[in-house]
Amino acid sequence: MKGVVFNLLEQAVTDAHGDDTWIDLLEEADVGGAYTSLGSYPDSEMIALVGAAANKLDLQAADVLRWFGRAAMPLLAERYHPFFVGHVSARSFVLSVNDIIHPEVRKLYSGAGCPHFHFSQDADQRLVIGYQSPRQMCHLAHGFVEGAADHYRESVAIEHLSCMLEGDALCRLAVRWLP
Amino acid sequence: MSVGGALASLRHFAPPLSDDPVALLARAERRVARERAARLEAEAIAEQGLRRLYDSQQRLLLLQRITDGANQTTDTHTALRVAVTEICRQMDWAFGNALLVTNGGSAVAGCGVWYASDPEAVFSFAEASRSVQFDAGVGLPGRILTDVRPHWVDNVTLDPNFPRRDVAVRCGLAAACAFPVMVGDDVAGVLEFFARRLIIPDDDLLGILGQIGTQLGRVIERDRARRGLIHDALHDAMTRLPNRTLFMQRATNAFARIMADDQRCMAVIVVDLDGFKAVNDSFGHQAGDALLIDVARRMEASIAAAEAAAIRHGASWRATLARVGGDEFNILLDDIDDSDAIRRLASTIHQCLTAPSVLGGTHVRCQASIGIAFSDDHYSDVEQMLRDADLAMYRAKSQGRGRTVTFTEQLGVEVRLRTHVEQELRQAIAERQFVLHYQPIVSMDAPDEVCGFEALIRWNHPTRGLLLPIEFITIAEETGLILFIGDWVLREACAQAAAWHLRTGGMSMPFVSINISPQQFLQPEFVERVHVVLMETGIAPASVRLEVTEGAAIMDPVRTASILEEIRRWGVKTSLDDFGTGFSSLSYLQSMPFDALKIDRSFVAAMSADGKSRGIVQAILDLAKTMDMTVIAEGIETIEQEELLQRMGCTMGQGFRYGRAENDADAFRRFGVC
Repeated sequence: MKGVVFNLLEQAVTDAHGDDTWIDLLEEADVGGAYTSLGSYPDSEMIALVGAAANKLDLQAADVLRWFGRAAMPLLAERYHPFFVGHVSARSFVLSVNDIIHPEVRKLYSGAGCPHFHFSQDADQRLVIGYQSPRQMCHLAHGFVEGAADHYRESVAIEHLSCMLEGDALCRLAVRWLP
Repeated sequence: MSVGGALASLRHFAPPLSDDPVALLARAERRVARERAARLEAEAIAEQGLRRLYDSQQRLLLLQRITDGANQTTDTHTALRVAVTEICRQMDWAFGNALLVTNGGSAVAGCGVWYASDPEAVFSFAEASRSVQFDAGVGLPGRILTDVRPHWVDNVTLDPNFPRRDVAVRCGLAAACAFPVMVGDDVAGVLEFFARRLIIPDDDLLGILGQIGTQLGRVIERDRARRGLIHDALHDAMTRLPNRTLFMQRATNAFARIMADDQRCMAVIVVDLDGFKAVNDSFGHQAGDALLIDVARRMEASIAAAEAAAIRHGASWRATLARVGGDEFNILLDDIDDSDAIRRLASTIHQCLTAPSVLGGTHVRCQASIGIAFSDDHYSDVEQMLRDADLAMYRAKSQGRGRTVTFTEQLGVEVRLRTHVEQELRQAIAERQFVLHYQPIVSMDAPDEVCGFEALIRWNHPTRGLLLPIEFITIAEETGLILFIGDWVLREACAQAAAWHLRTGGMSMPFVSINISPQQFLQPEFVERVHVVLMETGIAPASVRLEVTEGAAIMDPVRTASILEEIRRWGVKTSLDDFGTGFSSLSYLQSMPFDALKIDRSFVAAMSADGKSRGIVQAILDLAKTMDMTVIAEGIETIEQEELLQRMGCTMGQGFRYGRAENDADAFRRFGVC
């Protein structure tokens, strides 16, 4: 996993709970903790950090990931402003992930394994996001979508139609934009 | 202050380290914050560098792909297509279009090479661009042509010099850029690109686009060179018309099409200029070349007009005019449906040559002989058609200038027969199949006495028996074989007469009259030939009479006069053959010293019944008397004719009344015994 994700988590945790909490998490999770956006680190470290947070807060790892995704979005908007301009809604922003954001990520990190999202629309006009990743972080994606909705001052309701964590072949998130 | 002093003062600047843990912690936290800020800045700098490096690598790869594409093809369009596609994909631009210079470099036009990331979305813009033409300075491509550098338009919808604005707006295209494709210092083409968002130029991108332009320019240069070579190999350098190679390619293809489709027809026309050699000889080769170019242009124009007229009337034939030899042109007419139209085309070609060409201030008129062959079931290849068109052309030429002959089966039969006879004639000359027969010529005073013979050739044909001259002399004249035959006749007749004279011991010296063909007479060395024969055969010159036709005599009257004088100096006699049938002009007769006139058999035959013919014969006799010439009447068959001619004062006669032509032994018996 790219160092930038750890940096974002660090910033989100620090902003919300202070420096010490982040250090506690690092030590609780027993991870290296020195992360630079230019580096890559084992996925297990992220899972350990999320697990430690869940433990401490008495939450599910999924809940922590959703929180993190949602909290990371304003930080991303600050850091990667050009990706957000040119979109007037979270829907078009989300739809641009495969074509614009991922290529940009690959510019920085050759060989970055970006998840590919498959977009479709269901009978209820919901945006269905298909997602298949060995990291099984569909809840992070869930949080990112919520964060994107926040950014464009929209609200969404997200349902996990299927989930790799539940033994399904892939994760499918249905996103409904609420009026 | 010395450096040492300054360093010493710094030592004092360092504050004493506090042992207060809070202060120490705060100090450590400040240090961590600074370290983090430095890390973030370092990361940002590195990210920016990585992005640049990535873009730069991608652009180099783009250049590499386009260069590879350019090196793998000699075709301009293929290379342009690779470039337009790769650039659009790489730069994420919505539409790209290639244009090539046209109108001698004064404009650029779309060449059907374009790329659209989403073709449906930009369909109408692609339609408006793929074959559009811009003059220099007009629109984005026109500006490249004028300025010879890349141009960027941030918003085409606000650009005052963008003719495709409305359709660009409809397709959601906003920004544009274009750059030139260069061949040397000249713009050879323009590549233009359109995007839905702003295109931000940077030096790196400009550099890459410039190199792409150069690479593509090399392909265009190679393509032009290749096309130039092909064009040169297939066209006549002087008239710029297709040459024989290209003509044969097209003719062969057209023939293959008619073989595959019974309904289709084609024709080939052979056009050969009449008297072109004379123009070359009189005015020089430069004038000859100018005439050929002029003739080519005229024919090209009249064929183009005929084609256009045919299209207006619903026909669809296509013509290829080619220069296939010095003054020989071929025309291929493919997919014809009306043979009359082709004959009319031949008339048009004759007409277009009626007006004289002006060569260095001189008016020269050049006509053409035209042969046409139409496709037909019996042809198995186009070469046969061309041979037949050639035969038709030669037939046209033999009929005089400015004629057209269409090949027919009948003509083919005649020509084949003629060719066959020609081959046999060659064999006859080699194998000495000719013999001379001798017809007696008598003095009208004493018709029982033979005073000479006319030597007449016979062809002892191996299968057809003895053939009279009428069956082969025309072909011999047309093929030039008459020179060999005439030479043999001259020598043989003289040798025979000399042998007779020898056998009679000089007691009887009948003369021998020998027909000289016009070609033989016109040969520069004719006089010399006669002299050699006289020397070699040892015949008494006074017993040789050479018969020349009027046609040959008047071809060059001055020369004829000098030949006659020369020959007469040796004692050889000369007769003007067939007098009365040709020009029979008194003025030339006076200037040419013939010894005798021969009255054609047609006058003699008509004489008894027809007072007019008798009058002509009398006039000829009177004329001969005045000019001190002998007259020999031909074709005397009856005693009435004989008596009439005797009364009219004719000197000599020949005809069945006195004997038919017979072999040398029989002829000898006529005078040898007396």
